[in-house]
Amino acid sequence: MAAANRGSMPGRSREEFLRSVRDALGREEGPPERHYHRLEEDLPLLEARAAELEARLQANRPQLLDRLADMAGKGGWNVHRVSGAEAALGQVDSIIGELGATRVVRSGQPVFDDVPVDTALQWRGIDVVPVARGATATREELREQMRHADVGMTGTDYALAETGSLVILPRQGLSRLVSLVPPVHVALVRPEEVLESLHDLFLLRRLEFKQRGGEMGSYLNFITGPSRTADIEMTIVQGVHGPRAVHMVIIE
Amino acid sequence: MPEIKTSQFTRASATAMLDPQLRRALDRVGSGFDVARRNAIEEVSWEAWEEWREEARQIKIHTLDHLDYYLEMLHDNVTAAGGQVHFAADAAEANAIVSHLAQSRGVKVATKSKSMVSEELELNPVLESVGVDVYETDLGEYIIQLAGETPSHLVAPALHKSKEDVAELFANKLGVPYDEDIVRMAATARQVLRDKFMQADLGISGANFVVAETGTLVIVTNEGNGRLCTSAPRLHIGITGMEKVIPSMQDLAIFLRLLPRSATGQRISSYVSMITGPRREDDEDGPEEFHLVLVDNGRSRMLRDPKLREALYCIRCGACLNICPVYARVGGHAYGWVYPGPIGAVVSPMLTGLKESKMLPQASSLCGACREACPIKINIPRMLLELRHRTAESDDPKERASSSSERFLARAFSRLMSNPGRLSFATRMGRMAQRMIPGMSRRGGWIRRAPLPLFSRWTRARDLPQLPAKSFRDIWRDELGNENGDGGNSGRR
Repeated sequence: MAAANRGSMPGRSREEFLRSVRDALGREEGPPERHYHRLEEDLPLLEARAAELEARLQANRPQLLDRLADMAGKGGWNVHRVSGAEAALGQVDSIIGELGATRVVRSGQPVFDDVPVDTALQWRGIDVVPVARGATATREELREQMRHADVGMTGTDYALAETGSLVILPRQGLSRLVSLVPPVHVALVRPEEVLESLHDLFLLRRLEFKQRGGEMGSYLNFITGPSRTADIEMTIVQGVHGPRAVHMVIIE
Repeated sequence: MPEIKTSQFTRASATAMLDPQLRRALDRVGSGFDVARRNAIEEVSWEAWEEWREEARQIKIHTLDHLDYYLEMLHDNVTAAGGQVHFAADAAEANAIVSHLAQSRGVKVATKSKSMVSEELELNPVLESVGVDVYETDLGEYIIQLAGETPSHLVAPALHKSKEDVAELFANKLGVPYDEDIVRMAATARQVLRDKFMQADLGISGANFVVAETGTLVIVTNEGNGRLCTSAPRLHIGITGMEKVIPSMQDLAIFLRLLPRSATGQRISSYVSMITGPRREDDEDGPEEFHLVLVDNGRSRMLRDPKLREALYCIRCGACLNICPVYARVGGHAYGWVYPGPIGAVVSPMLTGLKESKMLPQASSLCGACREACPIKINIPRMLLELRHRTAESDDPKERASSSSERFLARAFSRLMSNPGRLSFATRMGRMAQRMIPGMSRRGGWIRRAPLPLFSRWTRARDLPQLPAKSFRDIWRDELGNENGDGGNSGRR
């Protein structure tokens, strides 16, 4: 099948390649026994686990937020814990003010409906540009805006207490580049987005994958601290391709 | 494939040891990476670490034992997500696939994030030959590319370069003023490469893992270049060895705990990017096409070989390099091919041919530190011994590479060691020779250069311990008052 479809494309057909692997494994046919517990977990099992997880998260939220703040700080984030949307706006305003930033882009995530940064930053004369198709015309224009922005602001889909990471998933109005291209990234985190561990995250992702009939979404990005390199004499430099400074505003 | 210089290990390592700049660079590896690794493990406790290692090892054993099954699953799920999978039996096929894709899509500029497999394939010159400008974007890889060199470490490819080297390189190649400030040099690279990211039609990445269950490619980076390469251009090609597949997304939890801690001592790297197919209709941006090239290039030879299969469990963290006393002295380039250090000493002979690389399995004291440091508990010393055995005694003429004089010496040594009378006679002769022959006289207890022709080959790349004035047997008999000189059980009677 694949061989016929390859046309002028170089390389092996799937059948031929798999046959050579099978041959190396000393088998004629496909593998006889391949029980692997994780792949045998079905939707009801994952749903039950996710319900347990939700209960556990709710019971432990204050401790998880403490751990997230601790690990995020160790991972290179500037962590700001604030209570309520009002305080969050104040925090964002002071970050922008300290940076002397004038050009700010943000994603189109729902958190900005609750925390209206656009209006809050207006008094500074800053036009916060939402990076979304339709809002501005072309892909090139969007890119130019991101390239020249001083700050990129996003929400998050999950925050991992284990590693101090934010996890961002694709959605409308969320460019992959807002958290990456500007030299400073400011992220807003809400308590319900906090997970304990990598295991929690992958459980929820696999559940959604199965619920959506095998659709994972095009990407999932972990962000933990600033962009960094140690490629010259093992000296750590922040901000080589991504942001040099990152702020996590936890809204409690 | 890149020029294979593994046969020159002895000479290259001797030169490397005399290079003071390399010495300083390698000292930083030991005090940097490995200390950070230990600290990171201590934070989670060695007990937890042991459990994670064992779990990861079991996943790798299972996956490689059923590799055909998981590759098929991976293929089906990448395809279902709108991507395309290509299978390459060797480097030529892999390079042909990538250049065919680049040409048929009118690609002019390609950006690359770090990929050891593409180094192995020597992809860049092939792409350049079809008119594509290729830019490495990992800072270390970029430096190496500008210098026209090869990586000397799995994680820190430009480790062997001093900041003065880089400053001079940037001044020559980029036309910027000479400036050896590391922060400013990184900023220069950021600026130059920013333009390339935005111009690029094609982004090429490797993969740290590929998930069969969901068809997801996973890359772990610190700089953010991996994210840019896979987000900005309209075409994304991931290239990886076929052994990188893991069954379930849930398995990633364990590997993402092991890899960054083993590589750099980080709890997690700055960025972990998981890519499943091209951009979807609703996505704001991302590549329009996603291709995954799965490469064999000698890996099925390792798979076929039950005694060496576990070398395929390697996740390229570099921990075995950072702790290896041989790597610490000779650096990565002496190994003569893409994969240096203890794991390279196993992988290179398997991928390039044992005869060509017969010295690499000798480049080890068999101290076992690599096995202890390995997050997948790969038994590297056992495989090095196995390869040594094959160079000496394999029935396969393609593997057997030891010289007749080596075999003669080994047989003589074996006969000597199996008979106490012969051993004691030889020891006496040896002591006499040591006294009489100037080159073997005392200098710190080691013979640096044996003058006798048969032995001189041995000491060309190693020192030989001198025979002590008294053997253990002599001490046992003379000083501990035991009657039998045979070292037997007399003391217990």
